[in-house]
Amino acid sequence: MANNDKRLGVALAAATCALLGGARSAPAAAADDEDRWEIESALLYYGESDDRVQDASLSVFAKRDFDDGKLLDFSITADTLTGASPSGATALDTPQTFTSPSGDDTYRTAAGEIPLDDTFLDTRYAVSANWTQPFAGLYTVSAGGSFSDEYDYTHAGANVRLTRDFNQRNTTLSAALAYSWDESDPVGGVPVGLSQMLDEDDLSNRGDAQTKDIVDVVIGIAQVVNRTTVVRVNYSYSDSSGYLNDPYKILSVVDPVTGDTIARTPPPGEDGPSGIYRFDNRPDSRTKHGLYAEARTWLGGKVLSLSYRFMTDDWEIDSHTLEAHLRWPIGATSYVEPHLRYYTQTAAEFYRVSLVDGEPLPQYASADYRLAEFDGVTAGLKFGHETSGGNEWSVRVEYYKQKGKVSDSLLIGNQLDRETIADLNAIIAQFSYRFRF
Amino acid sequence: MRRLFTFLSLLALTGCAQVAPWERDVLARREMQLDGAPLDAAFDDHIYFSKEASSGGRGFGGGGCGCN
Repeated sequence: MANNDKRLGVALAAATCALLGGARSAPAAAADDEDRWEIESALLYYGESDDRVQDASLSVFAKRDFDDGKLLDFSITADTLTGASPSGATALDTPQTFTSPSGDDTYRTAAGEIPLDDTFLDTRYAVSANWTQPFAGLYTVSAGGSFSDEYDYTHAGANVRLTRDFNQRNTTLSAALAYSWDESDPVGGVPVGLSQMLDEDDLSNRGDAQTKDIVDVVIGIAQVVNRTTVVRVNYSYSDSSGYLNDPYKILSVVDPVTGDTIARTPPPGEDGPSGIYRFDNRPDSRTKHGLYAEARTWLGGKVLSLSYRFMTDDWEIDSHTLEAHLRWPIGATSYVEPHLRYYTQTAAEFYRVSLVDGEPLPQYASADYRLAEFDGVTAGLKFGHETSGGNEWSVRVEYYKQKGKVSDSLLIGNQLDRETIADLNAIIAQFSYRFRF
Repeated sequence: MRRLFTFLSLLALTGCAQVAPWERDVLARREMQLDGAPLDAAFDDHIYFSKEASSGGRGFGGGGCGCN
């Protein structure tokens, strides 16, 4: 009897969903048998100020419904990236020269400026696919894979997810496992951690491509609270091991009193760095724990979504993220959606602004601004419109700002008077179109 | 970990009113789905993965790019 009740519930849920889907877009419902594909495509532009990273990305997400709740989805993305990124070296009152990451060229930074490595140019392709299907009544299993390739980096991954519904499908528990294998293969080879930046064409501190393995586990619960509110909470665990350095990041080696980079002159007839710089070196493992909570509620036509995430890891980086979306309908077919996001993180235990000349080298060190203490704020607005055929187009524009904080205890001499971390200001613009056939 | 599971279990059991399948008119709407905007979420995850030290939480936080 209980079993029959459950089946009745499932049948009613399916019928209700089908009816509601039909009520929302009548033309689509009339041709339900044929409208098995849903395609969402988007063009994204991401641009940082001051000639830093510019990225244009085209992505297509496709989903096909099969009978009995079976679902295939896949995505294809192409990215093209150019621009400059802070190398980690500190600003000086004199111009600086660096050997480029490939080792076959040099680039210069003007006096007083935070060194940016402007040699980035990359194209990235990414694909992913997932198959989802219900089984044994209340369970759903999905499995998938992902692959991406860029000039100096390759990723391959697989994942599996199991969910089970309880309480007339008011509660859903899920457990997911993902494995990633990533390879870093920079042009010119991988620099040995903490080795000194060498003259042009000297690759004696470079090694072969390096790999890392990442295992992710996410355990979650989603709960229907009432007819208009749903919440979910996820616990996530991530373990990375292998090569976790950034092969393009360096640190300046500075005078213990002035804080200025120790000057160096390349041998006659050779081009090379104008100071002593050493490559970034990070631990070869990292374990992260995260807690994520999200609530979504219907407020008489408007939809408010709030989320909070706490993450902590054994590099001593703790972060808090707060995010809010409010979808506000305009008439029957359009909406605007303001979005706010706040992010803050502490610095990695091995983050430092520079290395001090004459002191023993630390085991690990990085001046990567992403491992520093900083706050980030995003504010954005999305506008969406549903066409008479039941398709939807949308535009969103967002502004992202990062402000780094470096404690005075990490600064030496003249560094106290100079900018250490350049603020990041970026625009995100996206156009999306979704249709069924 | 034990505390977390206790919290999750309590959350599941705390007097959430059971909503019957035929009462899901609002919850069935696309804009009420927790993963209703996969492409926006994927773009955001990718951007913040590239610019911040933390990633994942909503889903997997793994790698997939040598972003700079």
